[in-house]
Amino acid sequence: MRLPLALVAVAALTAPAAAEPFRWAGQTDPNTMDPHAGNSAPVLGFLNNVYEGLVRRNQDMEIEPALATSWEPLEDGPGWRFTLREGVTFHDGAEFTAEDVVFSYERASSAEADTASWFSGVTEVTAPDDYTVVMRTEAPNPIFPDSIANWMMMDKGWSEANDVTRPNIERGNYATINTNGTGAFMVTEREPGLRTVLEPHEGWWGEADHNVTQGIFTPIENSATAVAALLSGEVDMINPVPVQDAQRIDQAEGVQLLRGIEARVMMFGFSQDKETLLASDEENPFQDPRVRQAVGHAINVPAILQTTMRGAAEPAAQLVSPAMRGYSDSLSERPAFDPERARALLAEAGYEEGFSFQLKCPNDRYINDESVCQAAVAMLAQVGLDAQLEAMPVRNYWPELRADNYDMYLLGWSPGTFDAEHPFRFLVHTPQENIGTWNFGGYSNPRVDELIPMVQAEIDEEARQGMLDEIAGIVQEDAVYLPLYVQPLLWGAAENVELTQREDNFFILRWVTVN
Amino acid sequence: MLAYIIRRVAQSILVLFVVGLVAFSMFRFVGDPIDNMLGQERTQSDVERLRTELGLDQPFPVQYYRFLEQAVQGNFGLSYRQGRPVSEILLERLPATLELATVSGILALVGGIGLGIFTAIRRRGTAANVIMTLSLVGVSLPTFLIGILLIYVFSVELGWLPSFGRGEVTWIGGWSTGFLTESGLKALILPAITLGLYQMTLIMRLVRTEMLEVLRMDYVRFARARGIKERAINFRHALKNTLVPVITITGLQLGSIIAFAIITETVFQWPGVGLLFINAIQFVDIPVMAAYLMLISVMFVGINLIVDMLYFAIDPRLRVDRTAGGH
Repeated sequence: MRLPLALVAVAALTAPAAAEPFRWAGQTDPNTMDPHAGNSAPVLGFLNNVYEGLVRRNQDMEIEPALATSWEPLEDGPGWRFTLREGVTFHDGAEFTAEDVVFSYERASSAEADTASWFSGVTEVTAPDDYTVVMRTEAPNPIFPDSIANWMMMDKGWSEANDVTRPNIERGNYATINTNGTGAFMVTEREPGLRTVLEPHEGWWGEADHNVTQGIFTPIENSATAVAALLSGEVDMINPVPVQDAQRIDQAEGVQLLRGIEARVMMFGFSQDKETLLASDEENPFQDPRVRQAVGHAINVPAILQTTMRGAAEPAAQLVSPAMRGYSDSLSERPAFDPERARALLAEAGYEEGFSFQLKCPNDRYINDESVCQAAVAMLAQVGLDAQLEAMPVRNYWPELRADNYDMYLLGWSPGTFDAEHPFRFLVHTPQENIGTWNFGGYSNPRVDELIPMVQAEIDEEARQGMLDEIAGIVQEDAVYLPLYVQPLLWGAAENVELTQREDNFFILRWVTVN
Repeated sequence: MLAYIIRRVAQSILVLFVVGLVAFSMFRFVGDPIDNMLGQERTQSDVERLRTELGLDQPFPVQYYRFLEQAVQGNFGLSYRQGRPVSEILLERLPATLELATVSGILALVGGIGLGIFTAIRRRGTAANVIMTLSLVGVSLPTFLIGILLIYVFSVELGWLPSFGRGEVTWIGGWSTGFLTESGLKALILPAITLGLYQMTLIMRLVRTEMLEVLRMDYVRFARARGIKERAINFRHALKNTLVPVITITGLQLGSIIAFAIITETVFQWPGVGLLFINAIQFVDIPVMAAYLMLISVMFVGINLIVDMLYFAIDPRLRVDRTAGGH
């Protein structure tokens, strides 16, 4: 690639002495800098560079000590005791102690926070001394430490001084723009929607193995512009790379394409508790598991991945990817592409002639979401199923699903805890106030509802896996959802950059080396 | 004159009310902001709490009334996305758009008039024909494509100019300007061309047509017969008379330069109000969308008013009271 001489000259003029900053671009600007006011990947992913939790995930998504050096289950009842790291300071110099943990619990679990659901089973959090925290839970919860990896610690004193003891999602407050974490980087400049500048935190407790002197994040919504910015050397890394540009970046000089697998599984869901179809007002065939299985055999997932994903994604058989904790190894086979079998199943269910129904899809939420649905429509037509596709922006999509305006729909699910239990809790449990909240189709199975709380409380790994296998088996048997593929991660970076692509699509600046 | 202005101002206020009403009745179809504000692990009670907090559970007339009530006091509420006053965000972003629009406008005006005169005077020349053909491209290619093409050629291939952003800006009071730094000026070039190209070709074609018309007039012929220099005829006599329609079009186009900046700003990630609006749509940030639409309509109404008054000043015939005319 040609060297942008003019740019180098400008950079030399404007950035005296210091090494070149590391500049990266993403599609979405984190809408808040408050770690308890946003529970979305852009917010948590960005703030993982600035704030830290008691535990954190390493490059392979495993839990490792962060602000807590060790933790163990309590002896006198369900819950956990965390031993805190000593000598940790916030960016403003204040010391990190158990008091801050208790405060962060109160803040993050308050009604005003977006992270309260992480603490639904927690009954009490106390600090016996400055470096010990006891968290009591209603029932034993073996994956509790895993589920709080994104629970970030804020300084009590700073929060009180700036009147931000509670997050404010709708009005914003001082913590929406300003930060004071313990992380490896501190925010030195924040212009919402334009750019955010990070600089290393000198007093960080960990050993910095990156060589970034300054990180500049710019949101670039238009993916063609982002690709151009990478190719012209104006940014060092972009996330994501559009699927159609992947090959080009792979072949261009001076840049590299980084492929990975995201934790997000794409699937089709079905309306199961409605009596009639939306499209024709006739009896709803999706109530019959055989019809849902038929859809599974009618859709040729490898072909879809070859065409719309250009071979970048892996087929999925369960609601989580094989890398997740609690994945059922015995159930890793997905329904084979077999139109004959699909027809036979439809005939068995009494729908030899097929039927018409409405398929809803988002068109700006997942990678090539609309094209995937279009491909599925053509394949379903081969077995006599007439899917009427309606694609829309995601901002209209969720309200439509909540209003039950669909017969079949596309959904992507990324398990926040990186555990197989997560999608069961949200997607398969009978819908109620705090559980089954994303089970739009209304699937309900008493055995599953009975098993989920048992899984949540089971300490023994083997027994727990046994129950997860049973649920996964029921979900597959009943074809509650039709898992399609694991969404790929495609990042582009300059050739001299070394970085880690983590499965949750978080970009961690302290793993960047610029050669 | 005064009665005329008062009448026009009254009409303008009515237009603003209608724009607000139409905009507000459309927001409910844009989507639900709650989904963007809360994560996937939220509960139904979180959703309801936030909906009440934002007043989204109120019927549409109530929401519109509340908006108007605050808007007349200059308060456009808080952005759902950023949690900051909308007026503050708009003021922060406005300089970027206005600078871009000004440069594109000047480019369109100077380039358009210059090329228009050139193609009119040398209408049989090769250069003029080439320009006329190229101008078809400017009129027919969508802004989005022109922007991407320019980025590809000048940023990716040649590496001369930046592909996105505004470069380094300098703050003068509350105004951020890109005019004072090298990177700021460089960053302006591609977006300004992209945004101004359509207007430039439009003005050029208009000037050419008008000019050709005027050059056929008797007074031009007599001037030539009198032996007045060609230069004086073209620039002093002919050009002046072609400018009246040009002013109208330019005035109206100035509004659309600012409004159409949305696309250019998205392509170049230009941090102006257009990009802000696009982001607001994606996030269903109703207060920002409402304020932007009001701002744009105030601008259009204002420009129209000024253009009408300029007519009044330039064209004496309009000063005759219309109702008095008997024919």
